[in-house]
Amino acid sequence: MFHLPTVQFTQEQEQFRLDVRTFLQNELAKGTFTSKCDSWLSGDDPEFSKLIGQKGWIGLTWPKKYGGQERSTIDRYILTEEFLAIGAPVAAHWFADRQTGPLLLRYGTEEQREYFLPKIVKGECYFGIGLSEPNSGSDLASVSTRAEKVEGGWIVNGQKIWTSNAHLCHYMVTLVRTSPFDGKSKHAGLSQLIVDLQAEGVTVVPIKFLTGEHHYNEVFFENVFVPDNMVVGEIGNGWAQGLAELAFERSGPERILSTFPLIDELIQELKRQNNFEGLKQASKVVARLWSLRNMSIGVAQLLESGNGEDVSIPAALVKALGTKFEQSIPEITRLIVQTYPTLDAHRKIDRFMAESILHAPGFTIRGGTSEVLYGVVAKGVIAQ
Amino acid sequence: MSEMRDMIVDVVERMLKEKVDKDLVDTVEQGHWAPELWDLFKENGMTAVAITEENGGTGGDIEDLLNIVRLTGKYAAPIPFTETTFANYLLEFTNLQVIEDLATYMLCPDQAFTLEDGQLTGEAIHVPWARHTKHLVTLARSKDGTHLVEIDLSQAEIKEGMNLAGEPRDTVIFHHATTSQVSAMLSPDKMHTITTLHTAFQLALMTGAIDKINDLTVQYTKEREQFGRPIHRFQLVQQHIVHLAGETAIALAAFNNVTEALLTNNQNSEVAYAHIRFEEIIQAVTTIAHQVHAAIGTTHEHSLHQFTRRLWSWRDEGTSTSYWTNLVATQLLESGDSLWEYLTSFSKSSPLLKVEG
Repeated sequence: MFHLPTVQFTQEQEQFRLDVRTFLQNELAKGTFTSKCDSWLSGDDPEFSKLIGQKGWIGLTWPKKYGGQERSTIDRYILTEEFLAIGAPVAAHWFADRQTGPLLLRYGTEEQREYFLPKIVKGECYFGIGLSEPNSGSDLASVSTRAEKVEGGWIVNGQKIWTSNAHLCHYMVTLVRTSPFDGKSKHAGLSQLIVDLQAEGVTVVPIKFLTGEHHYNEVFFENVFVPDNMVVGEIGNGWAQGLAELAFERSGPERILSTFPLIDELIQELKRQNNFEGLKQASKVVARLWSLRNMSIGVAQLLESGNGEDVSIPAALVKALGTKFEQSIPEITRLIVQTYPTLDAHRKIDRFMAESILHAPGFTIRGGTSEVLYGVVAKGVIAQ
Repeated sequence: MSEMRDMIVDVVERMLKEKVDKDLVDTVEQGHWAPELWDLFKENGMTAVAITEENGGTGGDIEDLLNIVRLTGKYAAPIPFTETTFANYLLEFTNLQVIEDLATYMLCPDQAFTLEDGQLTGEAIHVPWARHTKHLVTLARSKDGTHLVEIDLSQAEIKEGMNLAGEPRDTVIFHHATTSQVSAMLSPDKMHTITTLHTAFQLALMTGAIDKINDLTVQYTKEREQFGRPIHRFQLVQQHIVHLAGETAIALAAFNNVTEALLTNNQNSEVAYAHIRFEEIIQAVTTIAHQVHAAIGTTHEHSLHQFTRRLWSWRDEGTSTSYWTNLVATQLLESGDSLWEYLTSFSKSSPLLKVEG
């Protein structure tokens, strides 16, 4: 079985947590932002992202020469938890911080790192993740957006879908087919290109979410020119590079805490009602959350130690379990207290309920459906 | 884990692998005793781990001991290892003399004996291994309050019984029997600590059994063929495997965090969260394992039941889940903090492992 390490936070880390918390509570009190559920996906606020950038809290683990702080993965874990627990609007810079930065640090050219990373760190440069296509879903090997080699670069044609925040993003790391599809080796011939979303030939079309919010997009490419220096890593190595990204994406606290503001408010409500029976039921939620958090921190610690251990299987497991947990929160809540879920409710619990109900179906889909993750985990367990 | 601990765990696991098989467990379930296995543990100093050297222990800490207990759960080792070691741990914790012989305990507050002039009276049911052990460590009420006492079991009337797994669970009756040792009165804090420690030992045993059930089940899906292929190739079986792996991984992680918390005195609700969560884990794990093993798993031929029956017994022996949900609910109600502050609060010192002078 998976033996995940335990983590005890140091005094400095606990202090860091309190510093972040105090800052966020002050900003919340000033009205800089409003708490919401699932804020890492739908809480877009470029001004807030810049504020976070000024604090040095984007790219926390990255090298100092690119503007990072060279702090540990565990520090970043703490920071992320605090953002999510309070429901801060971090979606604008989220994907650049979580995925694009680590990708460029691992596979990017020095030129790409020097150009992009300092901008990301300031909270001024956002990236979309261009993976899915119509009908591809979780079957990423089936992507058909293609790039053809021309003098000095590539010409991209095709379409991506479900791209978070593409309408706000400056760039998109796009998985494209750079050699013809080979049925025998579906993973070959894929490459990652950085596409400037303002470039000629790019069209971004909104897909509205169940809440009515604009969050996902379709992105169309019509003869979009991408210069050679915007190729990430090696041509043809896109599949392996993409997989490396997934471990970072899958097991973080955002797979457990998307509906945390609702749990927090549920407890507040039960305390106001002096509802001991309700709190007893809620203690099961606390126990589930605690056990998942232990696992998630354990995976983060494995990523930190980076001793070549394959974390993809425990990471997939944490994602599958964590998203099922966060998805269960609105259902559990409504059975313990009376709520009237409404998006513009002035009672917080009603608003958090509405956001959670309408966002919940997506938790077990985005970032790899549970069914695909189950396949990954089952194969891994059987191979052990 | 420390290198020292890795070594201890290795040695114990090798001993268990070599000495404990289904037949031995079956034999002890018939009411026999396993002298060879007990002697082996004793000779290797394992029964005195986590007792200080000045009290005749072999050193090591509670995390070492809990990991050995976990392994005895993983192999269904049919000896009163938990009973003897935890009885001694409690004796040292309450400043009493540790004992070298086989010992057991009964710590449920609703089963406390009456103590008057150093004499113990009363009846306790479901006392583990009483018939095979020499000393009982238990709770007794005097006019001053509750104490921990140690008493020689030769003075007891013992009626034999067993739990769902065929482990000895006897009724012990004392009529004005003479206690060997009586602790100072136990404060409510200290009582809570004893409950916490007791639950940690139960969790260790259960973690071992869960781990084993996962191993047995995965192995079975590789060996068993249906419709011309091993059953792990069927997606619906894979769903079971993943669910089982998930619950097992959670149990292991929870156990590791509990032992870590006991060592660092960091948070004293870890045991509560783990116990509450184990309710769901045990229900899921036993159901899935039996479903995947299908008919053979419901027979005495297969060893699966030696672990599922133990889980069904062990989850109810010791402190009930409702004690822990009450505790968490009370903490939540009384805490002035938000849930997040409550969950992430630190440096709450717990008196758990300090032997008070």
